[in-house]
Formats: sequence, structure tokens, C-alpha cells
Amino acid sequence: MAESNQLNLNESKMVVPLNMWVLISNFKLAYNLLRRPDGTFNRDLAEFLDRKVPANASPVDGVFSFDVVVERETSLLSRIYRPDEGENHARTLVDIEKPVTSEVIPVIIFFHGGSFAHSSADSAIYDTLCRRLVGICNAVVVSVNYRRAPENRYPCAYDDGWTALQWVSSRSWLQSRKDKKVHIYLAGDSSGGNIVHHVARKAVESGVEVMGNILLNPLFGGEERTESEKRLDGKYFVRIQDRDWYWRAFLPEGENKDHEACNPFGPKGRSLEGIPFPKSLIVVAGLDLVQDWQLAYAKGLEKAGQNVKLLYLEQATIGFYLLPNNEHFSTVMDEIKSFVSSDRS
Amino acid sequence: MKREHHHLHPNPHDPSPSSVPAPSPPSSTPPTTSTIAGAYSGYSIHNGTTSSGKSKLWDECAAADGGMDELLAVVGYKVRSSDMAEVAQKLEQLEEAMGNARDGISQLSNDTVHFNPADISNWLETMINNLDVPPPPPPPLPQQHSVDSSSSSAAFLPQTESSTITTSVDRAFEDSSSSDYDLKAIAGKAIYTTAAATADSLSPSSKRVKPSPAESSSSTRPLVLVDSQENGIRLVHTLMACAEAVHQNNLSLAEALVKQIGFLAVSQVGAMRKVATYFAEALARRIYGLYPENPIHHSFSDMLQIHFYETCPYLKFAHFTANQAILEAFQGKNRVHVIDFSMNQGMQWPALMQALALRPGGPPAFRLTGIGPPAADNSDHLQEVGWKLAQLAETIHVEFEYRGFVANSLADLDASMLELRPSETEAVAVNSVFELHKLLARPGAVEKVLSVVRQIRPEIVTVVEQEANHNGPGFLDRFTESLHYYSTMFDSLEGSVNSQDKVMSEVYLGKQICNVVACEGVDRVERHETLGQWRTRFGSAGFTPVHLGSNAFKQASMLLALFAGGDGYRVEENNGCLMLGWHTRPLIATSAWQLATKSVVAH
Repeated sequence: MAESNQLNLNESKMVVPLNMWVLISNFKLAYNLLRRPDGTFNRDLAEFLDRKVPANASPVDGVFSFDVVVERETSLLSRIYRPDEGENHARTLVDIEKPVTSEVIPVIIFFHGGSFAHSSADSAIYDTLCRRLVGICNAVVVSVNYRRAPENRYPCAYDDGWTALQWVSSRSWLQSRKDKKVHIYLAGDSSGGNIVHHVARKAVESGVEVMGNILLNPLFGGEERTESEKRLDGKYFVRIQDRDWYWRAFLPEGENKDHEACNPFGPKGRSLEGIPFPKSLIVVAGLDLVQDWQLAYAKGLEKAGQNVKLLYLEQATIGFYLLPNNEHFSTVMDEIKSFVSSDRS
Repeated sequence: MKREHHHLHPNPHDPSPSSVPAPSPPSSTPPTTSTIAGAYSGYSIHNGTTSSGKSKLWDECAAADGGMDELLAVVGYKVRSSDMAEVAQKLEQLEEAMGNARDGISQLSNDTVHFNPADISNWLETMINNLDVPPPPPPPLPQQHSVDSSSSSAAFLPQTESSTITTSVDRAFEDSSSSDYDLKAIAGKAIYTTAAATADSLSPSSKRVKPSPAESSSSTRPLVLVDSQENGIRLVHTLMACAEAVHQNNLSLAEALVKQIGFLAVSQVGAMRKVATYFAEALARRIYGLYPENPIHHSFSDMLQIHFYETCPYLKFAHFTANQAILEAFQGKNRVHVIDFSMNQGMQWPALMQALALRPGGPPAFRLTGIGPPAADNSDHLQEVGWKLAQLAETIHVEFEYRGFVANSLADLDASMLELRPSETEAVAVNSVFELHKLLARPGAVEKVLSVVRQIRPEIVTVVEQEANHNGPGFLDRFTESLHYYSTMFDSLEGSVNSQDKVMSEVYLGKQICNVVACEGVDRVERHETLGQWRTRFGSAGFTPVHLGSNAFKQASMLLALFAGGDGYRVEENNGCLMLGWHTRPLIATSAWQLATKSVVAH
């Protein structure tokens, strides 16, 4: 058993740069310490270990950020990242919410990953990713610090996403000048990708326009054991048993993975046919064991007549977008950039 | 902004006079795979704005860092590029050990005390060593019965202390995750035994003694808005305009604007109104030259501090985390001596004394030297405090000795005055809570004090300071920084239940605001500086960090839960230090230090 573990570790080392391997393996190891067999979570240790960075109203590499408590009652916080627009000075309370000057600027509402349990909007890995998105897409990014499992189960994360979406869409200072509307895109990785789908659905049902969904290695699943899950179990940083733990922590007690949150096109899913769902960009890593579910999701959207672009990265593992030193990173960033820029003149 | 490559380099477009971009360090080893032919810049956290003097130091630090992997540094981890393969190996090794050890994961998760997770190599090493040694049976945890915070602040008048102590000893074996405000002193014992046993192989990586390079003082500007500014925007605008007018010495304009602030503030609600009012008053004082404020009677300022202590967790967190570090440093010592630079009403010490009283094997002899400014009415205020603590000591059976020292400034102290005893017989801790920054008002003072501290040869120096830069050279920057800082502080008070406590706390903070904004020169004593700046200063003065661990973190987090309306309080670990903040904005930071030469000696 130890030997095959060794083989597994060696395999994953061959497909990612060494520092990325260290980063993801370090997370894997830390996360193993935090999940308890009884379904509880060592939150104190999790917060102690998580590397966080404060917001910074002084621009760095053309991006500045600040945090806003979007809803006091739930302490829902979001981190806003804005392009500097050449002004080169630290923002203060006066000018932090100055209206955007562009004719068209995408506002990307970002939901960080962590399988619904880990990380925060101010986690360093996600702060870094959001800053990169601003620079690459020339967008405003709003990273939502949604409530996490197991302390806050379904539908808390989705509710928080919806609250944030409503907040963003009502900010006059985020409106593109061309049409005095906020051009909203939803983006997320892992559990964040899952949240994107459900928040988009809620938006559509409530008449709030979302221009596109970006799902990076989104978390979907189901009761069935798929081929990719069996083939890749434990091979590239992730085990099925870990995935199961997180679903048990997030889904309502007593529910299984065919719950609509986990399996939107499964037996308990609701049809998306005839619904003006936003166009979707779905990125699937070829070495991610839940890819069958991600591909099924893309297919489900297609079958419902929705606009889907699927980007399948054969040799990518989970977390490839956390560091820029791999070809998948640039491929994906290029795609995201054109995805959010298609309505720019 | 796109760049051609992703190494650290300065932003060439930053022309602001108060900031010179940090020059790029010698580039570290390139990534291990072929670089992407892309235009994506590696974003650097350190690339803040610093003065030219500081950026030089940063340069040295970068070189001294020996080539930290930049991409990992950006996401919060410190791994030398040259160590990457070794760290990978440790990850594999630990994974295997965790798989093999019975209950390994549970042990690492529940019993082990973790330190400084940014240093992955050390973190892994500590865990690997922990798994080798079967954990000793959990020692009895000293518990302090002090759920009712209102009794603990006046705790030096022991009422039912002895019966309280008895009950809590019985409770010592109970659920160790009690949410009482207590010091779980010896949770880290397992680590200590291990570290001592493997000291030879571990000495460069012993968890307590790894010297970290002096940090740069990048001036980030963290901002948390609790309510959208759209409502209060005119008020903030006017405040800033007024500060600008003062800065440019346009006093008639400033005067007009101050009045306008008054009108606008009235229509605001909540924290913003109060903050604006205090800042407006401070601006008015500056305009009219009405500073310093009449010195207030110490019993009034004591009272303000007590209310502040009750309303929000900042002081309690400061005391708690400092005490935790002191307790750990005093482990195994039979005679201990605390030198408190911030004596005030001695609120920090009952908890420490109680924890010492409950030490397995009995308490050490405890000596306290309390240092404070002269009382305006010449009363022997320090002695009174000492006397109350002596009474407590008697009821909890701790041998106690006290000396109060009146000094106008800490810089007036010399080691010879303190009647130090040989370090083999008496271990010393030096403690300073919100005091050191005051020394920055006089050139040379802080350096003098730190050299005296060195002469004291303490086991540990505990320091708590406001996490802000309110000591920059430019008035406008100081005004803006402090406006952000105190806005966040006041926001955190909004949830408190007791309105009188809240008002008093606001007055307490208002005095600081006044000092930062209205005063200059030796009168301006609220010269707060950031953890990064203090790190540099302590490093230069010959100290190395002592890390605070996950045990202190966890208990500090539990402490926060006791405060009503306290949802927003957050404890954060920062390279071995602990910070307390409101939401994502750190507001105070606790650090601990030891003499640099001590790092050769393993505990």
C-alpha cells in the first residue's frame, strides 16, 4: 500500500512544476489534518494555517483592492479589486468607490474554491488569482467571502452569492458608461464553480442579467462512481473519499450526492431548457478525478440548448491556475479574457 | 499592467514623492519548467511603496533570503528555491508517516502545537518529529475561572478566588476546548520534549529559534468599508479636504471646512459620525493651536482604559497572547521576574499569576516590576496596584515580590536600577503593551530602551502594538491612515451592548486620534508603526523572533467569541506573530522576541 502511494506521488510530480507540486501537496496535507472522521472540521487550525493577505488600497502592479461588508447581518464581506487606470496613488475612503471610467468594463464576481470548507476571499492564493484576473481582463473583480461548510451548509454559500450579486448589480459606480449597466460575469474554481451555476440560475429566475459564467474545475458529483473517479482516485492529489467528505459537510443532513446542488443535471435536477441561462466557459483538467461530472455538466447545458464552451486541458491537475508557471495557466487566462471581452467595441 | 516576465520588479510608473518603488532583488532561480511565453506578471506582495532607505534594507533582505521561490512567496509561503526538492521529500515522508502512524492525523491535528506555517520546511519537520515520538498523556490543563469578564478586570481584589481556583483545578481534566478566557499553559509540552530530544539534528530548524530575516516595511493600505460610502461620501470628502487645507496651511479654509464637518456629521449614523467628530475636533485643535490637551487625572484615564478593556477584545487579546508567550518562556523556571513597561492598573497580571499558580509542580516565585509615568496628583498609584496584586498572590499561594518604578520615559531606565538577579536563578520577561511607540517621539529613545532590554538578558520580550503606520513624515498620509484605522476600530465597537462602555471606549480612542492629528514633536506620542517596521527594529537591535503557535491562536479565537457583536473579530497568524483585527483589517499585533545569541541554545 505504501508502495503504490509512492507511485502516486511520483506520477503527480511529473506533470506539474516542482513548486506547484509542493504548493498543492502542502494543501493536501494540511487539509487532511482538518477533516475529522465525524464530519466536523478543525476550523481554528484551518484559520491558523491559511495564508491571508489584507486588502491594499495602494496600487500594486496596476491593481488596488479594498474590502466591503456587503451584508452586516451575516458579516458577508467581499474584496473588490480595481484596475489602477494610471492614477498611481493610494486610494482613500473618498475615491475608493469612484465610478469606473470605461465605456465597457466587465465586473467579475469571483467565488473562491476550497470544496465549500476551505479558504477565504483574503486567502493569499485567491487574492493573487483575482489580481491577475484584473490585469489580464481589465476587469473589476469582486471576490465573495461566502459562508463555509460544515458550519454553514447548503444553501448558505448560494445565498451569499446571490446577496453579493444583487449588491454588485446595484452599484452605480460599477456601471459601464456605454449602457449604464453593470456587466456581470460569474467566475469560480472548485466549489466556487459550483456556486457560479446556482447563483446564475437564481439570477436568471429573478431577472438579473449575468453575461457569462466561468467555471474552473467546478465541483459537481453524483451517487454513481464514474470511470474517471475510479481511474484517478488518489493519483493527482485528490481522493474520492475526500470529495465525499466535503459533500457530506455541505449538503443537508441525510441528502446524498444526487441532490440538485451537487448534481444539477441528475435525477433531482431541474431542466434548463428554455431558460436564458448565461453563456458558459467550462475548464476541465484532464487529471481531475471529477471530470466526468464536469463533462456531464457541460453536456447537460448543451442539451438544454445553452451556449457552452468547453476547454479540456489534458495534462492539467487541480489547482493549476494558482501559479502562472505552466502553459495551462496562460491558455485559460487567454480564454477568460476573450470570454469577458466579447461585448467590448 | 502586463509585463514580459514574472519576476519581482518595481512599477516604473509610480512617481509619488513619498514612495520610491522597491528595487527588484537579484532574480532567484527560474521556474523549473520552461517559462510560458506569456505576458503575465508575477504579482508581488512586497512591491509596496517604501522610502529609499527602507528599500535598500529590503534589497539586503532579499539577498539574505537566499533566493526564496517568488511564486510561492506571493501566495504566502517561504521556501528557498534551493530547498524545493528537499521540501517535496519531506511532504512525501510525512504523508507516509501519517499513513503508518496509528492516530497520526488526529495527533497532529489535536495535540500538536503548530508554528509559523509559512515556513513549510520547518512546519513539516516539526510534524515528522512529532510522529516519531508517542505523545505523552495530556498534562492537567490549568484553567482560570473567569467567564464573567467584569470580575476579571478588577480581579486583584480577590473575593472568592480560593474557592474558584479549587473548582477549576477539578475541572482541569475536562473538555480542553472550554471557551473560558484561560491560559492553557502547557499544551505545547509535547513539542518541547521532542525538540529537546532531537536538538542536535534540529538545531537550525528548531521551531522556536529559527531566525527570520528582517521584514521590509511595505506600506500596504488595508481598507474595510462597513457601509457603502455612498451615504457618507460628502462627510469623508470634507474631512479629507480639511486635512489637505491644514497640510497646506490654508487655515481659513480649514476652519470653514471643520465647521462644515460638524454639520455633515450630525446627519450621519453609527461609527462614521463619531469618527468624523473626533477627527474634526482634532483638526480644530491643530488649526487653533490648542494642543496638547490638558493632562487628565490618571484615575480618569484609568477608567477609560477599563471601559475599553471591557467593551472590545483588543486589550484582553494583547494580555492573553503576551501572557501565553511568557508562560511558555517561563516553563521549568523556579524564579521568574516580569518587567512591565505598561503597568497601568496591572490588569494583565492576575491571569498570569493564576496560570502560574496552577502549574503542575507548583508555581514559581513571581517578581513583578511595574513601570509607569508619575501620577498627576503625586499619588503612589503604582504601589497601590502592586499591593492589590500582592493580595491576590497571597490567596493563590504564589510567592510574590513587587517593585513600582515611576519614570517619565522608559528611556530614563537603566538596567542597574532594576535590581536584576543572576539569570541562572531568575528568568526575566519584559512586557510592553502599547508603550514602545511612544518612544519614537524622541530620537534615540527606542534604541536606548532596546539596548537596556538586551542588558536585562530576558528569556522573552513580549510586545503588543497597534498595527498601523501613524508615524509617517507627511501629515496628510498620517491623517488618512489614521482615519482608516480608527474608522475600522469604531466600527468594531458598534456591536457592543453596553452603551456607557462604548462611549468611554470611544473617548479613549478619541484621545489617540487627537494626539495623532493635532500634535507634533515630542507631544505626538501615538506614533504607531506596523509589525513589519517593529520586526526590522528588533532585528537590528539584536533580537530574534519567538513564535506564537496554534494553541495561542485557538484560545485567542475562543476569547473573541465572548464579545457580543463580535462576529467580525479575527485572529490571524503572521510569520510567528498573532494579530487581531476587525474583519480582514488587522488592528493590533503581538510579537515575542529573544536575544539573538540565544538561538544557538536549544530549549
